[in-house]
Amino acid sequence: MRRKAHFSLSKILRWFCGTWLLLQLAGCATYSQGFAPIEQQLAAQDPATAMQVLEKQRHPRGDLLLYLLNKAMLQRMQHDYAASNETFEQAKQLIQTYAAISVTEQTAAFVFNDTTRTYTGTPLEQVMLHVYAALNYLELEEPQAARVEALQVEVRLRQLMQDSPQSALSVDPFARYLSGMIFEDLGEYSDAMIAYRKAYEAYQAHAELYALEIPEYLQRDLLRMAHKVGLTNEYQQLQSRFAITLEEEPDPETGQGEIVLLLHNGLAPIKREHSVAAVDPGSGRLIRVSLPYYQSRPELITAARLSTQTKETKTQQVEAIDQIANQTLEAYLPAITARAVARAVLKYNMAREAGKQNDMAGLLVNIVGFVSEQADTRSWLTLPANIQIARLKLQPGSYNLTLELLDILGQVQYTTNLTDVKVKAGQRRYISYHYVPRYWVSK
Amino acid sequence: MLLLHRDSLLATFLVVLLGLSACGTQVERVGVEETHDLSGAWNDTDSRLVSEEMINDMLARPWRQEYTSRHQQQPAVIVGTVRNLSHEHINVNTFVNDIERAMINSGKVTFVASSQEREEIRDERMDQDLHAREDTRKPMGQELGADFMLKGTINTIIDMEGTTQLRYYQVDLNLISLRDNRIVWVGQKKIKKLVKNSKLRF
Repeated sequence: MRRKAHFSLSKILRWFCGTWLLLQLAGCATYSQGFAPIEQQLAAQDPATAMQVLEKQRHPRGDLLLYLLNKAMLQRMQHDYAASNETFEQAKQLIQTYAAISVTEQTAAFVFNDTTRTYTGTPLEQVMLHVYAALNYLELEEPQAARVEALQVEVRLRQLMQDSPQSALSVDPFARYLSGMIFEDLGEYSDAMIAYRKAYEAYQAHAELYALEIPEYLQRDLLRMAHKVGLTNEYQQLQSRFAITLEEEPDPETGQGEIVLLLHNGLAPIKREHSVAAVDPGSGRLIRVSLPYYQSRPELITAARLSTQTKETKTQQVEAIDQIANQTLEAYLPAITARAVARAVLKYNMAREAGKQNDMAGLLVNIVGFVSEQADTRSWLTLPANIQIARLKLQPGSYNLTLELLDILGQVQYTTNLTDVKVKAGQRRYISYHYVPRYWVSK
Repeated sequence: MLLLHRDSLLATFLVVLLGLSACGTQVERVGVEETHDLSGAWNDTDSRLVSEEMINDMLARPWRQEYTSRHQQQPAVIVGTVRNLSHEHINVNTFVNDIERAMINSGKVTFVASSQEREEIRDERMDQDLHAREDTRKPMGQELGADFMLKGTINTIIDMEGTTQLRYYQVDLNLISLRDNRIVWVGQKKIKKLVKNSKLRF
């Protein structure tokens, strides 16, 4: 009798240890909740402090990629492009290392929750990594290195195409468009033509998923390049389709340069957790299923006006990250749901089996199972909601530019000056501006 | 009581085991000549092998004999730009350094410093003009002009299927006569690597 009491005591102790371990494993808050203090600093247009906040946070090994991606983005917001690219390189290596499916992590994900898996990024995030690395190189005026990124994005997109050839999300319009611009900068016109053409096709494919306008800049680039490489038929077809004539385009030999401003507008949608909890009326056991969903940020800034003393132009959206992220999750949701339901069944059965041996143990297993159920709300949160582009052709020289951010009514919400921007003859000068408004809805 | 004791002993053992497996950085010295392929990317071995083989080929070709018999002196060569057109951030500088080393050490050609290095040397000469003793001063306008310039590209083609990648590197080098733009030698070296990434990990 005594012996039996000891035995169950040790068992209970073990269960307590197990519970404690699991709680440690599961953590209490979801990943996206930890982003609020960083977002606060970004809304104050203070990426340096945001960086300090990020560095102070705890980064579990499985979330290392997100730490690196956020760090790289904050570094580029502080115009430290070289350091940003070093961080992106680490992120690339991490993705390569963890590309293989882990047996232990899959098992843990099946028993506890999806956050036990090492995060390797969604296709969109993996593509954007190369896009931002390329932009960093362009801003450092190293087009040759940006070209390497353009080729790497090509490899990545080919992989995506192999994995799901039918999905429109396997093509990324802006990655292609930027590649085209890089090839054109280096005088590789036929490669540029191919990239522009693929960008155009990608915009068309994405237009079937969500509302989008094909940027007029791309239409002009396509026309100009078709003309340049001597594709007369294609040139005529495109001309009648776009209803644009190129006559007004200044001769490239006049020695004009061009400013390409990229507005990284707002913040990408944030993943939240949606849980359904219920009590099984028969056994009184708790059941919970948690799934992630995207919460889009309100669109406070819809466009921007870039002007010099004599000229002005408006931005055009080139990448709708918010919509693409939403579409990506929607495509993955059936698999995530199936896993969550299978997990709920497993946890229920585990609690029942434990309960057969010992009531207390059954209750504990049930509680652990209930608490450990958590949706995977991890995503690259410092990505913008969308990327917009504005281009100005200017004579060589130094310019002071004014950038006015406009709301949906066309009212100026925020004005900033970009001073001493140097334009060289026959060259494109790339500049980025990140703007994060204060979103009141964010928790 | 005994059983409880055994459990805690087991737990301690597990903790110690976990602790042991987590620590210990291993360092192993390896020879510079040894080949270690980690990720399948362009590495030091590729750079060294390609430069050595290509320069050996270049020096064995008839253009050098022709030049030497006509001018009664060794040709002077300079390395121009080697463009990286591959899909990797290849450090072109180490490759160019490998080429320079292979050429200088062959003793078959005279080698001229690159344009960046020349700037620094010219600054030094200018400085000597002001500060150095008369008999040690080096005059300006005595530089050796190069006869040939070596230019090139590094290209890649990637083919893949699932987790297997076939990486094909092609390095092209051209030796161009500075007098009349004649291309006197074209070298090409190809490397093929089959990279298989595991589908599963622990």
